[in-house]
Amino acid sequence: MSDFLLQTAFNASYAASYMALIAVGLVLIFGVMGVINFAHGELYMAGAYAVVFFYAGLGLPFIVAVAIGLVFVGCLGMLMELALFRPLRTNPLGGLIASIGFLLMLQTVAVLGFGLRNQNVPPVSQGRITVGGAFLTYERLYVILATVGLLLALWLFLRKSKFGWALRACAQDREAASLQGISINQTARYAMFIGAGLAGVAGALTAPLVAPTPYMGHTVIVTAFIIIIVGGIGSLEGAVLAAIIYAFVHTFVTTFFDGVIANIVGLLLMLAVLVVKPQGLFGVRERA
Amino acid sequence: MTSASKISLNRRTLLCGAASAALMPVVGFPRASFAQEDVVKIGFLAPLTGPVAAWGKPGLDGCKIWADWMNEAGGIEIGGKPHRIEFASYDDEDDAGKARAGATQLIRESDVKFIMMLGGNSWPGVEEIAARQGMLVSTLLPSDLTPNTETLIAPCEVHPIYNVTGVDWLAANRPELKTAVICAQDDALGKPSVATYLAAFEAAGIEVLGDPLFFDPATTDFAPVMTQLLAKNPDILCLDTCYADYVHPLCEQAFQQGYKGQIISCTLDFYQRIVERTSKEFMEGVIFQFPDFDDKALNDPRINFRKPNDFYAEYVKRYGATEWSAVSWEYSSIMDLWADAAQRAGSVEPADVLKAMKEGGKGKHAFGEARWWGKDLFGLDNALVGDWPVVVIRDGKATIAEFRSIPDWWDKHGPLLIKHMTDLGQMWSQRT
Repeated sequence: MSDFLLQTAFNASYAASYMALIAVGLVLIFGVMGVINFAHGELYMAGAYAVVFFYAGLGLPFIVAVAIGLVFVGCLGMLMELALFRPLRTNPLGGLIASIGFLLMLQTVAVLGFGLRNQNVPPVSQGRITVGGAFLTYERLYVILATVGLLLALWLFLRKSKFGWALRACAQDREAASLQGISINQTARYAMFIGAGLAGVAGALTAPLVAPTPYMGHTVIVTAFIIIIVGGIGSLEGAVLAAIIYAFVHTFVTTFFDGVIANIVGLLLMLAVLVVKPQGLFGVRERA
Repeated sequence: MTSASKISLNRRTLLCGAASAALMPVVGFPRASFAQEDVVKIGFLAPLTGPVAAWGKPGLDGCKIWADWMNEAGGIEIGGKPHRIEFASYDDEDDAGKARAGATQLIRESDVKFIMMLGGNSWPGVEEIAARQGMLVSTLLPSDLTPNTETLIAPCEVHPIYNVTGVDWLAANRPELKTAVICAQDDALGKPSVATYLAAFEAAGIEVLGDPLFFDPATTDFAPVMTQLLAKNPDILCLDTCYADYVHPLCEQAFQQGYKGQIISCTLDFYQRIVERTSKEFMEGVIFQFPDFDDKALNDPRINFRKPNDFYAEYVKRYGATEWSAVSWEYSSIMDLWADAAQRAGSVEPADVLKAMKEGGKGKHAFGEARWWGKDLFGLDNALVGDWPVVVIRDGKATIAEFRSIPDWWDKHGPLLIKHMTDLGQMWSQRT
């Protein structure tokens, strides 16, 4: 039984890791720019396809392909900010609608470039760690370690660097930040780079484990929205904690019952948080 | 000047030559020639995109080879005249609504005489229009059959009934395996297959541990599913009729979570990728039901599929070895049956072809002589059933281990199958 529980905990840790990366990116974009980026799942997909192209296709080392995925998707995010979100900054729903359009464009580009079939990404490693009777493959371990490293780096960046302070200031009050001489455009551009890059790196890291398809973003975006609502919209710490809670609840319920019940429990978790603490676990109550 | 005029003339000649060359394939080559009206259109209505595309698109690719070979040989002869075969395809995306639109377009605009479908989730969208138009339609999933649509036939694949042959063979060859677990996606394809495997395991004296695990078709991480299955410590891991997008990660997870027992599955499409992502040793002995057609066992005289090894070679040449799937040959084999019946009937009209096809209650199935069967399970005898191959992975390659008789199993264990089909609500009377 202990092996069974440990195996489930390993499974949940992997799920929590990549979902935390995606959710933190989504929160960052929303926090700084006030935009609900519906194309975030497709940015995750774009990161996975970067690995399909550079690692499975061109044979570059996996780590190089992941780095390219991060930078490429980060640049896509900057392009979105420049071409879509900035011109629509004054329109509350404009960014959301534009991101849906961009989502469809990214899917179409993936279909035209790679076809509709699941992509086969060769395994990075077949090694695994054995703890008792439970197994954790290196591929999943890489995702967990990379997530811890990236989120730690992001935390240090936001807390210790001037630019991190600027990002946080914008997230708290854009107008006040602007009055202090912080460039809103520049902050938004870099927030999009980081937020999109995190989704991209999540896709890139998990590409060998999920067989990428052009529509793989659908599932993760729904889960990411649940996570940021549970964690508190705008809270990075909340997103991380909610990702861990959601992933563990979902994985354990899937293992002990089944996936459909796990989806229902995940939604009930969100409802419960909304009833008890409407602003989410780490969210700040809005002033009346 | 002279020189310029020569250049002008040469350019004109060049242009004429290029135009002639471009038109040559259209007008110039003699081969078999067909008048415009001597074309029979066949509808191909199956998922060409999406997660179930592996059971549609490779079949259309196979049909293109079939049509090329048939037309190069002069087409089919109907009433003393050669007819060219053309396929009109429509991507139903495994969706009933899209299948309805596709069937309407194929019948009204393309004037097809026969429609081939994967069936399952898409069939309910076509049922009414097929019955109203009297259109002859084939499905790969006989669980679509009901007495309400007499023009729906399952002439190639008796999914999931042939799965009994794999379990039967396994029980005979590895009698030490006594327990099994089953998982499947919770849909119209998974459930009848689970009922069949439950019956087959019970008939073979193999205990199924716990209830079958039906997972959400939207599942993307199969680690928890596999953890739950392996917690029961089974001798046999049965992957039922999972789609290729599920079989691959399930096998991978079984490998990564240290499973060392027997795996049995209905399909193992693109299995080379699974071998690549696990190991030859892990995949050794995995049982499924769909051979590669380069298998020499298919050259047996009882096999009715024409030139299976050449067909496979041509398929690999055109599309690549890793694109071969369970259905690559199936729609073509249905076309063999249809063409044979149409030629015997001297007509391509659906009613005439169906009558000729079912004449004498027997037919030439790809894997040998077979009988029209199914009244007990589907309410009418519209499934062509005979022998089916049991395929085993040996040294990383799919190999036919044996052909086993589905009717023989049915004669011995039919009531068991009816019991499990009834328990899961899969009898035709429960589905309508």
